[in-house]
Amino acid sequence: MSEIAAKAPVKPARRRLLASRLVPYLLLQALIVIATILGLRLLQPSDPDDHAVTAFSLREDGVTRPVTLPHFTASRYSLADPPLYTGTFTFRSGDAASGWSVYLPRFSNAAEVAVNGVVVLDSRRDANANRPDRNTPQIALIPASLLRDGSNEITVRLFVWGPLKGFLDTVYVGPDAALRPAYETRTLLFVTLQVVFSAWQSILAVILAIMWLMRRREPVYGVLAVAMVLGVIQAFMPPPVPPFTVSRLPAVLLASAPIESALIVAFGVLFFGWRWPRYGALLFAPGLIIFVVGLIAGPPLPRILFLVLGVPTVGLSLFLMACVTAAAVIRRQDAASFTIGCAVTIVLTCWIHDMLSVFEIVTNERIFVSRLSYSAMLVAIGAGLTWRFARALNQVDSFAGQLVTRVREAEERLKASFAREEERARAAALANERTRLMRDLHDGLGGQLVSIVALSERGHEGATITDAARAALKDLRLVIDSMDDIGGDLMLALGSWRERATAQLRPHDIALDWRVATPQGLPLHPELRPSHVIQIVRILDEAVTNAVKHAKARHIAVTIETLEGGQGNDQGPYGVISVTDDGCGFALAGNGEAAGASQTTRGLRNMRSRAARCGAVLELSSEGSGTRVRLQLPQVFPDSDAAAG
Amino acid sequence: MSEQGETGEAITILLVEDDAPTCWRLQDALVKGGYEVRSAGTLSEARSALGDGAPRVLLTDLRLPDGHGIELIRETRQRFPDTEIMVISALGDEESVISAITVGATGYLLKDAFPTDIATTVRDLVAGHSPISASIARFIVRRTQGTAQSTAEPPPGPALNTARLTPREIDILWGIAKGFSYAEIASHLGLSKQTVPGHIKNIYRKLEVHTRSEAVFEAVQQGLIKL
Repeated sequence: MSEIAAKAPVKPARRRLLASRLVPYLLLQALIVIATILGLRLLQPSDPDDHAVTAFSLREDGVTRPVTLPHFTASRYSLADPPLYTGTFTFRSGDAASGWSVYLPRFSNAAEVAVNGVVVLDSRRDANANRPDRNTPQIALIPASLLRDGSNEITVRLFVWGPLKGFLDTVYVGPDAALRPAYETRTLLFVTLQVVFSAWQSILAVILAIMWLMRRREPVYGVLAVAMVLGVIQAFMPPPVPPFTVSRLPAVLLASAPIESALIVAFGVLFFGWRWPRYGALLFAPGLIIFVVGLIAGPPLPRILFLVLGVPTVGLSLFLMACVTAAAVIRRQDAASFTIGCAVTIVLTCWIHDMLSVFEIVTNERIFVSRLSYSAMLVAIGAGLTWRFARALNQVDSFAGQLVTRVREAEERLKASFAREEERARAAALANERTRLMRDLHDGLGGQLVSIVALSERGHEGATITDAARAALKDLRLVIDSMDDIGGDLMLALGSWRERATAQLRPHDIALDWRVATPQGLPLHPELRPSHVIQIVRILDEAVTNAVKHAKARHIAVTIETLEGGQGNDQGPYGVISVTDDGCGFALAGNGEAAGASQTTRGLRNMRSRAARCGAVLELSSEGSGTRVRLQLPQVFPDSDAAAG
Repeated sequence: MSEQGETGEAITILLVEDDAPTCWRLQDALVKGGYEVRSAGTLSEARSALGDGAPRVLLTDLRLPDGHGIELIRETRQRFPDTEIMVISALGDEESVISAITVGATGYLLKDAFPTDIATTVRDLVAGHSPISASIARFIVRRTQGTAQSTAEPPPGPALNTARLTPREIDILWGIAKGFSYAEIASHLGLSKQTVPGHIKNIYRKLEVHTRSEAVFEAVQQGLIKL
């Protein structure tokens, strides 16, 4: 209900839109019709009336009667005993200087002209001259020897092949110089122009066919190309003059006009984006019928059929095309539909003009203009399509340009955001590092300096203060060292540590045995941070300090090796650093907090928590013959030292 | 006991250090080691001391009240090519040691080193053994990587031309940086243990920037001059 209610007010609006668009369009078409009619009138070629010969006597079917040209004779299907027009003209020998000619502006279908009984012109020799759809003029020089001073006889034999009526326009006889310009004008208009259009059409047909071949999705180009090819064949294939040697060819050519017109309708429907209806194929039926009949039956049946079926089909197609373009104009209101609409109106007007001429409702010297206007229309459409194609290419270009611009913009935005992100990350890393540095200085150096101060205040012996100060210096070195970029190679940090440890142990006369079990030492850890390095080095320091201070060791060995992790999901190599000494060991917690070394237990707890902070596992074993600290490094160091507590 | 050079005379050392306690400490250690030590507290004192004659060894701090130790090292290097030069560094930081090396120093001494180590270091240096720490070796090999990649910006710190170092010397530096002893390095690289100190001395010499010749070398390397 609501939908219907919603739709209801749309209808008047649509009607208003229809009216507001259709009415101006129809008015425009009416103007075009008037313009076309005026144009046809104005373009009517003028003939040299001074030399007209109009009074003839016609002998037809054994009956002779006087007639005035232009004259229509009855349609006939036999070439035997053609209508014979006989007339006279006056020749004055004084005018003979330039030579005289006889000029036939329009006749159908063929004419044979004789002067004083001698044939001077036979249009049947020129196949194109006899085509009823063209308005080919003929001119012939009259040999001077034929001409007699005074009255001369001229006879015109008019060959007619139905179903059209025979027609003979006014005959002109006079000095060649006076007649030839009129002949040239008609040739230009009705012969040369047609050839030019056809040539043009053939070029466009090739272009459109290529477009269609490259873009099969758009059959519109293919349809138009086929229509144009048909038109070109029809235009350039010379129809044989009866009596035919090959009777099939002209019959087949007759089918071209209705098929072409149907194709044009198909083009219109596809061009304006409608679907081609299934029953639309019916439009091709008349053309195909004429084609088939032309193949089977001899003349004149195909010609009759053409007049009965073909010509109305052309008209119907033109009318349909006019409707299609009108609908397109209402819907789209664009230049293409307007242009095609106007072109169709012109062709339709020309067709009506020709029909009126065929049925003698309007006498206009029987000049047929449909073909000419149709060719012009096709050329216009083809040019339009090519233009549209070029415009589409331009659009693609500009689209590509836009795309490039967009991509560049996006890239710049991305770059900016990346720079921002990087800046942020750098700031965060810097802040982290600062925090760590402050904590490390505070934890190590700060505490040791405080203890130095305390020792000096209590007046302790120099040695103790020296030790504390040395420890402070060592810690400062460690912190500074940890700032260095070692590129994930823990071996580089251990190298520095070995030097310091060796220097530290030398006064105690303890040897530091350095064993690197695997050639590469430890695996590379790109994720290694200074905080990890500090923790590991402090653990090792603590182990060495314990061995020296509490275990009274004589030898300390540091073993570095890389092991392959095979069990479970812990694939990949991991490093192990072991510190072993030959001291007296210490009792581990659990054996009572004994051993009198709460400092040691604190140290051990410290080592464990440091190991946990960098994801390492610390194992301690101590007995009377020595202590072993085994630090198993993780395969991947945790991101932040706070993570593991 | 007194340390003697090849000529049998006592080895003379010029010690330039402005901090009095440090100076006493070093002097004590060196005198105990048998060296003949003169000390100077400022750059000008050091210059006048140099005017008296070339010492066998120059030990100098970098930060001096009236100038920079680098200038002193450069001058000494030019005037007395046979004098061994060591820089005194508080923490053995790469910045100061490397910049001293580039002007001609061939060793460094840590201010807090144990007295016996101080004497040993000087003795080794005179014997042709330049000391090199893991962190300094690391610093140098990092630079060789940096120049090999020739990437955007040079790493921070003093400019260092590592182009003349041979692959073998770089291998040795890697070994030192990773904490291997000379013996270990020698066995890894198939060298005799005795040749390693010589290589290190060469490394120091190659890193030194001789103002004119080095500039020519650089220019030839970069194709600016055709020989």
